[in-house]
Amino acid sequence: MSHYTRTQSQQHPTQRQFNPYTENGGTILAIAGADFSVIAGDTRQSEGYSIQTRYAPKVFKLTDKAVLAVNGFAADGNMFVKKVKQRLEWYRHAHSKDMPLRSIARLIQTMLYAQRFFPYYVYNILGGIEEDGTGAVYSFDPVGSYEREACRAAGSAQSLVQPFLDNQIYFKNQTPVLGTSHPTHLPLRHVVQLVIDSFTSATERHIEVGDGVELYIILARGRGTQGLDSFKDVQELTPHAEGERLFVLRRELKKD
Amino acid sequence: MNTLVSRFTSSSSTELKALDSRDPDYGENEASDITWGSLGGFGNLGLNGIPSFNIPTVPDPTAFLRLHTDDAADSSCRIKIQHGTTTLAFRFQGGVIVAVDSRATAGSYIASGTVKKVIEINPHLLGTMAGGAADCQFWETYLGSQCRIYELRNRERISVAAASKYLSNLVYSYKGMGLSMGTMICGWDKTGPAIFYVDSDGTRLKGDVFSVGSGSTFAYGVLDQGYRWDLTDEEAQELGRRSIYAAGHRDAFSGNTCNLYHVKEDGWKFIGNYDITKLHYEGSQGAAYGYDQRTQ
Amino acid sequence: MDHFPTNWGKPRDEAVDVYSTYPLHSRPRNQVDTFAEGVQHTQQPIVTGTSVLAIKYKDGVMMAADTLASYGSLARFKDISRLHPVGDYTVIGAGGDMSDFQHIQGILDDLIVEEFNEADGNALGPSEIFEVMSQVMYARRSKFNPLWNSLLIGGFKDGKSFLAYVDLLGTTYQSPSIATGYGAYIAIPLLRKVVDGREKDVTEEQARHILEECMKVLYYRDARSLNKYQIAKITKDGIEITDGLSSKTEWAFAESIRGYGAQNQ
Repeated sequence: MSHYTRTQSQQHPTQRQFNPYTENGGTILAIAGADFSVIAGDTRQSEGYSIQTRYAPKVFKLTDKAVLAVNGFAADGNMFVKKVKQRLEWYRHAHSKDMPLRSIARLIQTMLYAQRFFPYYVYNILGGIEEDGTGAVYSFDPVGSYEREACRAAGSAQSLVQPFLDNQIYFKNQTPVLGTSHPTHLPLRHVVQLVIDSFTSATERHIEVGDGVELYIILARGRGTQGLDSFKDVQELTPHAEGERLFVLRRELKKD
Repeated sequence: MNTLVSRFTSSSSTELKALDSRDPDYGENEASDITWGSLGGFGNLGLNGIPSFNIPTVPDPTAFLRLHTDDAADSSCRIKIQHGTTTLAFRFQGGVIVAVDSRATAGSYIASGTVKKVIEINPHLLGTMAGGAADCQFWETYLGSQCRIYELRNRERISVAAASKYLSNLVYSYKGMGLSMGTMICGWDKTGPAIFYVDSDGTRLKGDVFSVGSGSTFAYGVLDQGYRWDLTDEEAQELGRRSIYAAGHRDAFSGNTCNLYHVKEDGWKFIGNYDITKLHYEGSQGAAYGYDQRTQ
Repeated sequence: MDHFPTNWGKPRDEAVDVYSTYPLHSRPRNQVDTFAEGVQHTQQPIVTGTSVLAIKYKDGVMMAADTLASYGSLARFKDISRLHPVGDYTVIGAGGDMSDFQHIQGILDDLIVEEFNEADGNALGPSEIFEVMSQVMYARRSKFNPLWNSLLIGGFKDGKSFLAYVDLLGTTYQSPSIATGYGAYIAIPLLRKVVDGREKDVTEEQARHILEECMKVLYYRDARSLNKYQIAKITKDGIEITDGLSSKTEWAFAESIRGYGAQNQ
């Protein structure tokens, strides 16, 4: 592991400079449904070929209806999440309510762009429920450009997982059986199964993915838990059943 | 100098030192009053309305940025900024047609096929996105709020010329810092339909026909041979669509879908989103665009 | 402007400025202090310590580090303690630059005094010390003036053991067994085999034994190590840091290794 990079500049012909970034591996993923949203990340943290820990969360609860996943340089990611949470708390004190999801997305854009010239090396995916009760996923690049999407994978296994999702969520390159059409929104049970399969498969083919996966599932106000009942060990994080409900589901992944 | 003196004179006042942002061991205290409350979203806007940025404390900040983000110079750079695009806009008798593709690439990987490269600045102004996606999104959103302030102050809408000049002056002040944007500001004002090309060097050009991005040469080819001032609305929209199709077909860095907008006197209208593969085999209304399909 | 279409979307390169069009007046320059020339940042470690090992076990946390501070390949100082107690519940162990570590000791000792002066009945535990250190390390990397260390923070407070890592980049993590430096490659497999998943069962004897074993292996293979090390133990009874220990080593096999012992075969 080297903490140097070489840089050329006119004033200093060659300069040994401290490299403030590293890459800590892992993958994150989010899928939006009609009235739910699933945000997931593996829990391995690595540097080079060393596994530093088998449990370092990459997915964080922001509010009852917003969850943020961060991937890239872990120190930047943790600091960024801390600052977003701080701004949301200030908002809560000023307005006596949680910030709406689309506003959190814009907040994240301005916070990332404020570091335009010294970027956070972090890929963010924000998932949750909009004010109109629909499931939503927002994905960001490290300097803040963002877009609302139905599904997005980021991180070291992005190029393994995203094509799978394109095929299974958007039905890309699939032709429906004659007289039928592809569904626009998939049921929750199916989505959770797809997410788990994405991570077990990424674990098989990518060395930086593994150890465990954490799925955060947000259900819109008034939606029952149908689709979630068939999964074991689902833990609820919201104290009561009114309003949006947030669940977490943990699964072990291979550790080699 | 003062920092140096204070560091060596006060040894007992650790309590104050801990809160002092100049202390090398602690971070800056970024929280100011304006980061609170309703300004929460644009908290980094200073009181004068210009955002402040954190600059890395290295001798040459721009070299630092290039080192970590420029994958043309060094493909192992960590922070990959997405790029690759075809965008076009042209003026005609019926207003302005704006058409763009929707592909974003990072190296040879297609990072997204659903990018919105037309930025809706306000109901009368559109901006296009080429170059750094975040640069375009952020500054054109920012331009939107400045245009609203202009309206409130002057009781009339801002002209396309003034809006584009605001943007070009703004990016010019950051020249050499690594911003990357090539945009067309399109709208309809007192002078009629107008397009201004603005890029991150501060170039600002008024014109009738523009295309920007890696696929621009292909788009220009179709655009130039089909362009007339007295195109009907339908013909103009078809020309925009056909030009983006050509770029999507021949430029590897462009493709996926085409977003089409039409700016008229009463503001812009979203015409549609067209799958470029579908345009190839089926066309938009009848005839397929593909060579094989046309010549069979 | 680079008007070649395929280069669109990349940051421009000011190394080539054909027409000298840059508005230099508005270019941000970081303010330069009169004494800037005299202010140095740690751009490379000078006097360095090697690995630190730590594990959780039944009664708390145990940590080990040798007492060598090297100056390049010179074994310069052979009795430097790299395990430092902070308050009554925490031990911090450091690899990397020893002068930066001494600076950290200063920060933490001041912090403990401040907290003591509050006299509010609260004392800083290992998780608080870790939070402070992770913020300090990240703030310094963000100023391009890093404290060139890998730190392990271990402790035991309110019936809970705590073990975490933070380094010069501000990277942090927690795990039942952690090792820095060469230890991350050599000791971690040995430690994980004994500790991970069994933190609540490993006895003090087992913990001490595996750490001693790892320190011996590291002494055999790490050229910047010394067969004199300390072991710190943090339990409900407080902190205990041993004097210099050494492992019994066996070098008879060295004779049979070509290019290592006598060179007459």
